[in-house]
Amino acid sequence: MKRINLIFNALMLSCIIFLSSCNDDDQLPRGDYENGILIAGEGSGAGTGSISFVADDLRSGEDRIFNTVNGEDLGTFLQSVAFDDNQAYIIVDNQNTITVVNRFTFEKLGEITIGLQVPRFMVVVDNKGYVTNWGSGSFGNNVDDDFIAVVDLTTLQVTSTINVEVGPEQIVYQNGRLFVSHKGGYGSNNKITVIDTSDDSIERVIEVKDKPDEMAFTSSGDLVVLVGGNESWTGNETLGSIMVINTNTLNVESELDFASGVHPGLMYLDDNMIYYTIGNDVFSMSANSNSIPTTSLLTATDGFLYGMAVRNSQLYALNVSFTDISEMIVFDLNTNTQIQTIDAPLGAAKIYFN
Amino acid sequence: MKNLIFVLLYIWITSVSYSQQNDSIYYRLDQIVIQANKRLSKTSKAYKLLKLNDSVIVNNLESFTSLLRFNSPIYFREFGQGGTSSPSFRGTSASNTAVIWNGININSINNGQTSFNSLTVGLYDELDVRSGGGSIEFGSGAIGGTIHLNDVLDFLEKNKLKHLINTTFSSFSTINTLYKVKYSSSNYALNFGVSYNRSENNYPFVNSEFRNTNGAYENYLIDFSNGYKLTDNFLLQFYTTYYHGDRLFSGELPNPTAANDKYIDINQRNLLSLRYSLKNLKIETRLAYLYDEYCFFDDKESDVFSFGRSDRFFSDATIDYTFKKINATLTSNTRWERVKGETDRIEYQFRTEVSQSFIFDHKIAYNFSYDIKIREDYNSDFNVPLSYAVGLKWKPFRSFFIRANNSKNYRVPTFNDLFWPGQGNPNLIPETSHQGELGIGFSTKNLFIDLAYFIIDAKNRIVWTPNGDPNRPGVWTPINLSKSLNQGIELSANIKYNAFKNFKTNLLLNYVYVNAKNTDREELLPFVPKHIANVNFSVSRSRWSLFYQQLFNDKIFTTESNSPNFIVDSFFVSNIGINYKLLQNKKQNLGIGIKVNNLLNTDYEIVQNRPMPGVNYNLNINYKF
Repeated sequence: MKRINLIFNALMLSCIIFLSSCNDDDQLPRGDYENGILIAGEGSGAGTGSISFVADDLRSGEDRIFNTVNGEDLGTFLQSVAFDDNQAYIIVDNQNTITVVNRFTFEKLGEITIGLQVPRFMVVVDNKGYVTNWGSGSFGNNVDDDFIAVVDLTTLQVTSTINVEVGPEQIVYQNGRLFVSHKGGYGSNNKITVIDTSDDSIERVIEVKDKPDEMAFTSSGDLVVLVGGNESWTGNETLGSIMVINTNTLNVESELDFASGVHPGLMYLDDNMIYYTIGNDVFSMSANSNSIPTTSLLTATDGFLYGMAVRNSQLYALNVSFTDISEMIVFDLNTNTQIQTIDAPLGAAKIYFN
Repeated sequence: MKNLIFVLLYIWITSVSYSQQNDSIYYRLDQIVIQANKRLSKTSKAYKLLKLNDSVIVNNLESFTSLLRFNSPIYFREFGQGGTSSPSFRGTSASNTAVIWNGININSINNGQTSFNSLTVGLYDELDVRSGGGSIEFGSGAIGGTIHLNDVLDFLEKNKLKHLINTTFSSFSTINTLYKVKYSSSNYALNFGVSYNRSENNYPFVNSEFRNTNGAYENYLIDFSNGYKLTDNFLLQFYTTYYHGDRLFSGELPNPTAANDKYIDINQRNLLSLRYSLKNLKIETRLAYLYDEYCFFDDKESDVFSFGRSDRFFSDATIDYTFKKINATLTSNTRWERVKGETDRIEYQFRTEVSQSFIFDHKIAYNFSYDIKIREDYNSDFNVPLSYAVGLKWKPFRSFFIRANNSKNYRVPTFNDLFWPGQGNPNLIPETSHQGELGIGFSTKNLFIDLAYFIIDAKNRIVWTPNGDPNRPGVWTPINLSKSLNQGIELSANIKYNAFKNFKTNLLLNYVYVNAKNTDREELLPFVPKHIANVNFSVSRSRWSLFYQQLFNDKIFTTESNSPNFIVDSFFVSNIGINYKLLQNKKQNLGIGIKVNNLLNTDYEIVQNRPMPGVNYNLNINYKF
């Protein structure tokens, strides 16, 4: 037995020597959580929000990595995670907290707890973080005090705020401009705010259809916005749409409406293909397409599809549970078949490639 | 059940010869058994009914939750000390626990529960805890058990005026104070009480830099009841109570400073009762009006709030007819109720409920009685299934007793379940539960033991779940989803013993074991501790008394798969206190007490990420005159 171990160790050692000698230019691994997928779970009344790690080859994984490394919980509800080169910013809205960690080791580096009120999403531009905040209000009751918090990422202080329209949700950056989708917070809104990052002023407020949410840039630089539309229970049902904004003119260039009563939920853009969901069904179309597809690519789950990402012809779908461990289902997009199911955190909502 | 009855009959037949010798003991026992208000006692023979008397209450005046947590078999999910607190019996839920005020179920029509923050210890004359279903007598939600708050009006031949002042100062700037006056005469009785409680409640977390931020509360309660004997046969009673509570909701780890919620609630309850009694016949008619209102502020600095309110008009007539020859009583209750409820999200909704129940209570022999109860409901929102209960109590020999009951109970969907915009489900039907219980026990003046096996088979339990309705993808809706089976044992005991000459000792304990499962799963139901136990031990000698309280709460799983990553740990927590009577005579009684809570400074949580306080102190002054 000992001998086998010895041989095995020798083999391992030679592999490492071999690998390192052939990859002199490569840097050493920057942490346990590099080259993998981070799955963020919101948490719920059943437990704290948390982040799981799954290696890129999908063969190994680890749950609650923040807790494992730092011995504390993130709290509920973990809304989203923003990244820069070395750091991850974990946004927990009910805690009014952004926890800063090394994105590869998940070691806690600091936190932002002052100046946030129901923070939702963040984007990093140079050394500043821009965080959308709903401010006060309660479900169905919006208060017009919503803002973008501007965070100095060196001091982790909120240095200024930008007042914006009600319900700022996702935020993306391109060439000196921030684009903020106003889904509407506790109610419904229909705006995209464009902010000039040279002086953090509002350059334009673009009107779109109701409940704009997910945003992504096409290969030609246009902004695709997935607009959900008001659901029937609001008493004022409106159409969902995929809207494209020309980022030079800041005008709505095209809009592809869904049928009445159809409200798309999630969107992901990969390789200039738009993937979006209606209920548990996933559809795909070219970002340049002039019409929306009539048949779905696949049905991701019979549970509740709550998060989605696409990479290298693989689609990752989150079948969420708020009362239990969730699951991530991986599909091969060449065959549109399910290839693997992996445990995901409680309230699994977002997927990030690390 | 059939087998059970056979076994019981067999035991009864074989031991009849023993039991006949013990008449005198039996009668003495019955005196003790009559604990709660008469009607409750009468219909609870097959149940365990715990009465919390003054001597117990005075040791836990700081909150209703801690009083019951340390002295009853109820499990409380308390969101940090002084936070939202919901009771459950035998592995059921808060909406399966009915709170009964002077005989009327006061669970909210909007969410089906009673918040235990809104109840004040000490103003009620009687607190009774009954384990087991009681929909026949108390309607919706009386599944796991019922908690009874009663004002007692005493009529005495000799006029009597009694005052009580009770004030407790506690850590974290807490004061609980009440004043109560009782007047009794041969034909008029009056109770009046006011209470005021406030606390900063900003206790530091053990092993953390944080405090219980935003946990302050302030509330007052006014309680008035009076009764007048119009003639020997007619009794007129009127009860009214008003509560106003203003509280903040504290935050949770890792950043409790984020909390800024505020909650105001008001309730007002009025009850008018007219009783007529003549020989074999008793008739009581009641009229009640109950009003509830809450306002929830997501941001305490803001004027924006969500709210809910409800008005309930209630009337009923109860007729008891006693068949003296056969020692039996037939009781009929006819009830009509109209409920009007609204929230900021739900426009006014009305519900009309009518019910008719019959209870037949029969004492076959001096040591054997049984009852049969049946109730039919009409509800304007849905069909409520027929409820029934059968129970028996038998004392085969000496102080030993056997009791058994079997019942079917229900809980109706709340207005939130039915009408929440976009999410409510108008097709819900009531939850129902079948349950059985077999208890054995022993009861003498100094020893009371009750050990019961129980089983609760619940179906159509209402669960809020995303994608509950296939036509509303992604939307959380309530559906009649789960079935559960709870089985376990419940033990209560009270042992009094006089050691040496002057030392009186008193031991009270409660223990519940419950195995609660969703019938289609192997795992335990989340949020249900398998074991809970509490012990109270006191020693008193003349004016001194020393007491010790210990609670054990088993760990709970918070996920359906019982993931080891999501657990709230088990804990032991203990309190110790000492009381001294400065004055003790017929006219006056002045006591002072000091209590140390969480003696060992244990770091524990009942709800995850919401630590409870470490060691803290109460100083109590109690003056009766």
